[in-house]
Amino acid sequence: MNAKNNQCPMQNGNAEILLSYCARSLEAEQVAQIEQHLTACAECRAWAAEQQTVWAAMDAWEAEPVSADFDAALFARIASTEQPSVWQRWTEPVRQFLQGGLGWRPVLSAGALALTLVVALSIENPFRTEPVGQTVKLEAQEIEQAERALEDLEMLRQLEPPEEETSL
Amino acid sequence: MDMMAVATIEHDAELMLRVREGDSQSFALLLAKHRTPVIHFLYRMIQNQAVAEELAQEVFLRVYRSRASYEPTAKFTTWLFRIASHVALNHIRDGKHERNQESLDQESDEGMSRQVASEAPTVEQMMVREAKFEEIRRAIQLLPAKQRAAVLMHKYQEMEYAQIAAALESSESAVKSLLFRAYETLRAKLAHMAGRE
Repeated sequence: MNAKNNQCPMQNGNAEILLSYCARSLEAEQVAQIEQHLTACAECRAWAAEQQTVWAAMDAWEAEPVSADFDAALFARIASTEQPSVWQRWTEPVRQFLQGGLGWRPVLSAGALALTLVVALSIENPFRTEPVGQTVKLEAQEIEQAERALEDLEMLRQLEPPEEETSL
Repeated sequence: MDMMAVATIEHDAELMLRVREGDSQSFALLLAKHRTPVIHFLYRMIQNQAVAEELAQEVFLRVYRSRASYEPTAKFTTWLFRIASHVALNHIRDGKHERNQESLDQESDEGMSRQVASEAPTVEQMMVREAKFEEIRRAIQLLPAKQRAAVLMHKYQEMEYAQIAAALESSESAVKSLLFRAYETLRAKLAHMAGRE
């Protein structure tokens, strides 16, 4: 490889400097070096010319103007998502604790409250009442039993011999 | 973060740190500064203005939601375009992009009319520019999504290789390779435009 090729970005794997030259992002000193090289190197000159054509073509592609209500729509979305849900309100102390924003005390209180609720729900409730349907059914059974007992007593009484006869 | 890092922090990152402290005015300033570049990037990625604005809303919503965990470890624009690239690439990956193509032609025609109308060109000039614009748009649209994102950040946002790499979560050498392949494709498709107007 001769001295000229050593300076050639295409030959020494430094084509990015040509890309930067076409993007006009090089320092003045580097621009001068590249331009000097381009006068002597047809390959790089052709490459740079094509790249500059692409670059110029892309410059022609203007984007559309932004909608006037873009910010208002965004702030409305932010406001709607900033409203905490019931679940977020309940879990906020735990979330803050996990982020290091709170000490142990609120978390312990929340934990104790949760534990109390679990225990209270798991033990039998002494004030629990029977379901209405079941109570009505029991009452009906009791009346039926009482009636049956009275009928049995009446039947026994009828089967008993009269007192006069036994006394005789 | 040490005092040295705080002293050298860029202005946008400083504003974002104020947003983290609850200053909504700083968020409005960041939005005013970056709204247009983000929407233009998304527009060129998706090539549909309405969808681009919808995705941009998502980008800024994510910025706002991330305020509590924000740390200025990179340049603010790099972080912002990482979010924007994610949103755009996810949108394309999910196939929503293809469904938007139907409305694209109509929209691009309208956009073209707006662009040329302000400069009052002749009918011939207008037709040439329309054809040129359409060719550029198609050539970029046909690039693979990641190459397209890299080219758009390089060309229109003037981001450095390292910034593009951080935004696309790739290595710098991978980004250089993406860019060279993308420009190679574009040169093959658009180089004939030299001297045409």
